[in-house]
This record gives sequence, C-alpha cells and structure tokens, in this order.
Amino acid sequence: MEAPANFIKISDVAWEIPKSYKEGMNVPARVYATKKLLDGMDRGVIEQVTNVACLPGIVRQAYAMADAHWGYGFPIGGVAAFDIEKGVISPGGIGFDINCGMRLIRTNLSYSEVEPKVKELVDLIFRLVPAGVGVKGFLRVSEAQFDEIMKYGVKWCAENDLAWEDDPSHVEEGGFIKGADPSKVSRQARSRGIDQLGTLGSGNHYLEIQVVDPSRFFDKELAKNFGILHEDQVMVMVHCGSRGFGHQIGSDYLRIFDGAMKHYNLFVRDRELACAPFSSKEGTDYYGAMICAANMAFTNRQVIVQRVRDAFSKVFHRDAESMDMHLVYDVCHNIAKLEKHSYDGTSAEVLVHRKGATRSFGPGHPDIPAPYRRIGQPVIIGGSMETGSYLLVGTSKAMEETFGSTAHGSGRTMSRTAAKKTIRGAELQRKMLQRGIYVKAATMDGLAEEAGMAYKDISEVVETMDRAGISKKVVALRPVGNIKG
Amino acid sequence: MPYRLLPDVALADIAFEAESSTTAGLFESSGRAITDIMVDRKTLVPRVKRKVELEAGDIDRLLYDFLTEIIILKDVDSLLFKIFSVKTDGNHLSAELKGERINRVHHKLRNDVKAVTMHMFGVRRTGKKWAATVVLDI
Repeated sequence: MEAPANFIKISDVAWEIPKSYKEGMNVPARVYATKKLLDGMDRGVIEQVTNVACLPGIVRQAYAMADAHWGYGFPIGGVAAFDIEKGVISPGGIGFDINCGMRLIRTNLSYSEVEPKVKELVDLIFRLVPAGVGVKGFLRVSEAQFDEIMKYGVKWCAENDLAWEDDPSHVEEGGFIKGADPSKVSRQARSRGIDQLGTLGSGNHYLEIQVVDPSRFFDKELAKNFGILHEDQVMVMVHCGSRGFGHQIGSDYLRIFDGAMKHYNLFVRDRELACAPFSSKEGTDYYGAMICAANMAFTNRQVIVQRVRDAFSKVFHRDAESMDMHLVYDVCHNIAKLEKHSYDGTSAEVLVHRKGATRSFGPGHPDIPAPYRRIGQPVIIGGSMETGSYLLVGTSKAMEETFGSTAHGSGRTMSRTAAKKTIRGAELQRKMLQRGIYVKAATMDGLAEEAGMAYKDISEVVETMDRAGISKKVVALRPVGNIKG
Repeated sequence: MPYRLLPDVALADIAFEAESSTTAGLFESSGRAITDIMVDRKTLVPRVKRKVELEAGDIDRLLYDFLTEIIILKDVDSLLFKIFSVKTDGNHLSAELKGERINRVHHKLRNDVKAVTMHMFGVRRTGKKWAATVVLDI
C-alpha cells in the first residue's frame, strides 16, 4: 500500500494520519513503520486503526505498531487508550484470546550441550504439553479451584507448588490482575476453560527451544540483568493464552455489547468494534470477566513452564534449578488494563487496550520487578518459527509516546489459505530440519500456515521499534526446536 | 455453491462465504464450512447424534450462536460433526448434528477455531439466494 498523500511523515519510522482522513475520527492515528513496512501493509490496517480513532473517549492517538496487520475490528498490532469516565471498553480491542502472551525462561546450558538432545526434548515436551484441536489439559482442577485461578492466577500456582518462589514477581502484574469477577463468567465459558489448563492451543501458538544468536547480541550489559550471559545460551519461549475460556468470554460479551450499543446510542464502523461505556454495567461486567481470563492465561503459561522444567530435568538427569531455569519474564499482548499515564499535559488513569501489542514500560516504573526496574521492562517479541524472536526492553519514550506500548511479533503478510497453497507442511518440516530447526506439529496444515514466508521480516519490525525509541533491542533468539500447536 | 474460503480477508484468521437457496441450507453450509476448517470431514464417522435448539432475535444472531455452539461442543465434549440437518424460521433453530469424538489418530485435524468474529459478519438475501460472510478467529 502506497502511503496516501495526506499521511504526515513524523520521522523515517513514524507516520501520522490526521483526523481529516475519515469523518468521525476523534483523534489522529499513528503508524510505526519504515517506508518498506508501510508499503507492505495491507489497506485493512489503515481502515481499522482509523476506525479505532473514531471510538468514544479515545485519548491522544490510535496506534498501529510496525507488526500491524488486518485483524477483526482493531488491527492486530493496535493500541488505544480510553478515558475511564467518557470512554469505552471493546472486546474487539483485546481479541478473543484474552491475555495471549509470551513467556521466556533461561537455562545455563550451551547449545553444544543441548544440540544432541533437541529431538528428545521436543518429542518429550510434545507429549507433556497437549497441543492442537480439542485437546484436554494436564492440570485437573475443581470448580472451586478454577474460581481461585480466575482470581489469583500465578499466585494460586505458587500456593499449590506449581511455581518457583521468584516466578510470580517475573510475570507482568505479578501474575494476577486485581478486579477479577468470576460471577460475570458464563457457564459455557467455564465449561470450555476448566479442562484446558495446560494446553498450548493451535494457530500461531508455539513452544520453542532457542539459542542466543551471537551475530545479533546487541546489548550484553543489559542482557546480564536477565541472566543471559553468553552466546549460544539456550532459552525456552512459550506463546499461548487463555484458550477456550477467554474465547468464550470474548464471544459472550461481543454478543452482549452488540445488543447494548443501541441503548447507549453508540455507533461503530465495524460490528467487531462493539463496545460499551467502561463505567456501564456491561463494561464493568466484561472487565471483571476479562480479568478472570487474563489470570487463567497466566496460570496456563505457568503450568506449561513447569512441564518444560520437568522435561529438561528428565532429559539432562539434573534438577531444573541446577540448570538455572528461571523466568526472564512473561508479557501479555492481548489485554486491556487500567494504567496511570501522562499525556496532553495531564496525568490520569486510562484503560489501555493492547491487541497484539506489548507493554513496554521504561526505567524506573514501579510496576517493573525490582531486579529490572533500573533498566526497563523486558519486552518479548515472538517471531515466526523459522526466523526467530527478540528480547528488548521498554523505554521512557514509550511512556511519553505510546502509553508504554510496542509491537508483539512479526505480523502476517500472507493469509493462511495462501500459505498452504505455497508450501506443504511436510516439505517445510524437512527444510527446517536441514537448517537446524527440529519441529513437531499437531497438524501439517497448521505447520504450513505458519511458514516464515507468511510473515513480515521480524528484524525490520524490531529495528523500526528500536529506531522509534519505544523499545530497545537486547538480543535475538534463534530457534533450534519448535512445538507447533 | 455450499461455501468458499475468502483468502484475502483478515490474514491471521480464516473467512468464508456460505450460500444456499434456503435459510436451513445456509446454516448447514456454514456448519460444514467451520468444521472443514477444523478437520477433514471425510475422516469423520457419524456415530454420535446431538440435538441443538436455539432462539435469537434475528437470523444474524442465530447463525452466530449456531456456529459458536459448534465450537463449544468441540471444546467441551470433544465432538466434531460430519452431517448437519437444520430446520429454522430465522428466529428459532432446531438442528441434528452427527459426528464423533475427536481421535488424533483417525481424524485429519486442521485449525482450532477460537471464535466467530463480528468482523464483516452478516446474513443477506441476494435475489433468490441466502448468503453469509463469516470471519473466524484462529
């Protein structure tokens, strides 16, 4: 897509779409992209980010990050903050997979130690962590325990021997967000969620064994703070969310909001942007239910990581603690959160929607765990299974410019249908093995859909966010083993 | 035409357009479409029967609820369906679904559908045909 003439170039990596672009825009929109990324962006991104700019109570700007692609309602890679009195909450601005996110754990192992065991590790983790269509999780809980999980997330895990002592403090929000209200969750959502604790899911969800890439080890001093000490150090990354539980809460409230908008005299340009005033009964109910799903997702990633620790322990005949398998961090990238921000000469609590976008709080922020507070929040950007991922840190500029937000991944450029027509899963699996990546997938169709060529160049995305100053590169992580849901 | 995939809509997700001369046929086509996205239906055997009864204010919501029910049955009861027999007047639906429990060995599984989105969602009458556009979150 060529940048329309009325786009204002702010810098080589930032563009502003003025309010005059579309009738009804309450604020301008901001797109972070190099000219190359902007030219490659589908038109849907611009239509969707400007639709978001029309929502009631939005403050400052609507944002599309460098990884933005056409989603439903909001673009994926979208950020928007709303006044809590005059603004709305929109399930479409969060996504159905509430608190889909990334979790990174380190090891003290080198690739030379792990390389001969990658196949054994991947095969074992594939057995231990169910993935794909309709699977049941390995963690069985009662209805009462599920209520506790909704309210307390990783804190519940810590109280039930499912977490290490320092795990909760290394998860965004300490592993549970306050304000969960299980009474606002439907019976259907409970039924879909209670058996899915400890499942990876499908689509673009994955669990990956990675290696610190010596050629892209950008900031060794910053990396030390995360326990990343040497080239070829082995790491593990998990990408998943709240599974059917969050999906059903999203569906339930989308339907409720679709009906309630007339009552509140709200009009949106896309039904998927259905919303309600945050202060309304519908808005409050959805927020309480959405936080339940967010806490369930934290729990899901936590129990999966416990299984990963078990697998490494079994394969290397050592306890996981001796392999230093501590959490680096866990970030949400589909969420709405109440956060205090300074903007337009004021300081206020706003409701920040991040849909396919990561919190990127800068140095000194009180919500960052103490060991990292001086340097900024770890930002985990997951790439395609072929191209690898990145670890960055949040910046002060993100606080000033984007409500402390940055990108979340590489972003698709090719539809799932087109990807499957271009390459077969089995062929991709063989080619990846030749390049030193052993992949095990729940389905071959699903594997083909996630081929690297279906995504933007993640390095270009990360470079854009780094140049824009809203997150800073630390290290790239190269995949060597992948479990694909 | 029972349904066709729309490859250029919502890149990370999967969209389809279903069509039929009757509303019941439209629901049946949509049921087959969402199932084909999750599994190769040829690998399913119709061993288990499920009745679905739904009511909604309009045909749009009825289709949204019907497709959501298929997703719920997949997650809660691990059921996928091969055959869809639907009766509907546009506000009420009575369906009989025949399929079986998910078997990872016998079934060629594909994508796990998360939800039905409202993006571009809608049922419309075009001439003598009924058509629906659906974008599924994957």
